[in-house]
Amino acid sequence: MSKTLMTISNVSKSFGDINALRDISLEINSGEVVGLVGSNGAGKTTLLRLMSGVYKPTSGTVCLDDGTPVDKMRQRLGVVPESTGLYSRLTAWENIRYHSRMHGISDKDSWNRTSRFAKHLDMLDSLGRHTKGFSRGMRQKTALLRALAHGPSVLLLDEPTAGLDITSARTVRALVKQLRDEGGTIVYSTHHLAEAEQVCDRIIIIHNGDIQADGSPVDLLNDTDSMNLEEAYVALTQEKARSRNEELDSEGRLTRWWRRLFTPKTPNFVEGDDSSE
Amino acid sequence: MNKGSISRVKAIAKKEVIEFTRDWRTIIAIIVIPILMFPLLFIMFPLLLESEAAELNSIVVEVVVQSEDTPDNLLGQFNASSISITQENLTVSDSLSNPGDDIDRLRSLSIDAILRVEKREDIWYYAIIHISTSESSNEARNRLIEGVTAWENNETQNIIFEQGLEVNSTLNPVRWDGDIAQGDVATQGEQAGMLLSLFIPLVLAVWTFSSAIQPSIDMTAGERERGTLEALLSLPCTRNELLFGKWLGVATITGVGVLLQILGLLFAIGYLASSSIIGIPDLSTEAIILIIASIMLFAIMVVALELALAMRSHSVKEAGSILGPAIILIIFPALFTQVINLDGVENFWFAVPVVNVLLALRELLMDRVIIEHIAIWFGTSLLYALLAAYYAAKQFSREDIVTSLS
Repeated sequence: MSKTLMTISNVSKSFGDINALRDISLEINSGEVVGLVGSNGAGKTTLLRLMSGVYKPTSGTVCLDDGTPVDKMRQRLGVVPESTGLYSRLTAWENIRYHSRMHGISDKDSWNRTSRFAKHLDMLDSLGRHTKGFSRGMRQKTALLRALAHGPSVLLLDEPTAGLDITSARTVRALVKQLRDEGGTIVYSTHHLAEAEQVCDRIIIIHNGDIQADGSPVDLLNDTDSMNLEEAYVALTQEKARSRNEELDSEGRLTRWWRRLFTPKTPNFVEGDDSSE
Repeated sequence: MNKGSISRVKAIAKKEVIEFTRDWRTIIAIIVIPILMFPLLFIMFPLLLESEAAELNSIVVEVVVQSEDTPDNLLGQFNASSISITQENLTVSDSLSNPGDDIDRLRSLSIDAILRVEKREDIWYYAIIHISTSESSNEARNRLIEGVTAWENNETQNIIFEQGLEVNSTLNPVRWDGDIAQGDVATQGEQAGMLLSLFIPLVLAVWTFSSAIQPSIDMTAGERERGTLEALLSLPCTRNELLFGKWLGVATITGVGVLLQILGLLFAIGYLASSSIIGIPDLSTEAIILIIASIMLFAIMVVALELALAMRSHSVKEAGSILGPAIILIIFPALFTQVINLDGVENFWFAVPVVNVLLALRELLMDRVIIEHIAIWFGTSLLYALLAAYYAAKQFSREDIVTSLS
């Protein structure tokens, strides 16, 4: 039986009046690839940020296997945010080394792990280059190498194939499969059901801050009596997704009022009325 | 702070400095401009002024002298002044200062100035008509005034002599005895300190604030906008370590900029001292140490405050629009401090934010080490620096710093 590496217990997360996540509970087990699937603004990134300790839960706990809150044991996590977060004036290796040093890993150990995965991702020759000229795919691969360099217990990937060409996306998915085969634990956020089906052992469907389903792709099909995952997803999520902007709008009242003051009202043109010409 | 914490802070600061110095524009802004600013200001600018003055001195100005009876000894005063004189009859009937029909000739710059002279009873009346927006017209006016003054002195001496009086004792009945400079007991070094205290605090304060703006924005709002902050926040470092590392990075960059500017300033002072324009200020060791301490406390406060304000902002643009105008918070107190009389200055001034450090610098540059003042500015500066650091720590612990408007 696989060991539980991370436990999320009754976690809710609010931003002002907006409830981004409501009373979420789940466990991440050792050696599994868990797909977080949901539309834009569903709460995937918020959940990943709670798992990485960037956000603190409004209520509930996110703990690792020894009961330690994640924000106290971040060295056991490897995180690839959606934006990749690379410094363009540093080389790929300098980016990786910077994070490794922050994890307390020696440059030698970091290089050994990095070069091994870099070969697989065909990035070994590019490690000495500044990331400024990197394609989206190369950036994503570098971010993956950076997240793996310190040997994390759990890898958190936020939409790792978003914006990638077909070849790069395949390479990233192949690496994830390789890591799974080596016993790695990965949480993989995506809004592509086909990708989740290919890569993940378990799929969690999040919608409007709630978990709508949690199980293997086969379980989801059986539970919803659907022919494919897309049908299953539609059956599970029928309401419209909320606006992400509304969810994360942290502007002050004065800023918002001032902006609206200088925003003209949208004209309401009536068909056939050419008085505006 | 444990060993791991120190190494993380060092790693953050080192990365910030490396990344920042890889931008050539930064090198120009932080290294080249500070080194060149004072030498250019103190050496090139006076040389430029000198050459412009020499150029103006060499030009021949066109002057019309209008009079019914021009005194010969007046015209004689202009012989050595590179003035081309045309004589005309006086045509104005009322005040000599009324330009009358001559206004067009002056405005079209066909002549530089007009000197009108008229004797009424025993008194000579004169007026100089010129156009103040023309440099050659101003020069012509100055040369005419010089000549007229010399002529007036001659006339005065003649009248005194004709009255049978001794000219020198009549004109100068009260005189300074000896060398005027000897009467000032301040040393040349103290005088230099006084002169430098009028602008060095201002420059140091403004430069410290302005040179910290760009790195502060780049390392906070810039990271937020580029999406690098989220990856950083998921690392095993506390927000305070992150703040301290970034503070160290900005302080290093700003410190190098300020240090280079001081070196440029010392070079310029050294050059001026060799030309006897200004002396080297006399500073005791305590004064030098206290100057460094005051600048450091000021830098701690300013950098922490700028990092906090930049971190509050959702984008680089927003941070720029806050920190750019915020320089007024330094410039106004700095200008205000220049007019405060240091003799008998009230103690409370040494507790006012920004003013306290600037006044401290002024006093110390004049080598005035007053324990009471030091205790107040040191204590309050430390307090303000701690408050700024606390405010910055609060901003860095905000959860929404991971999101960006862009």
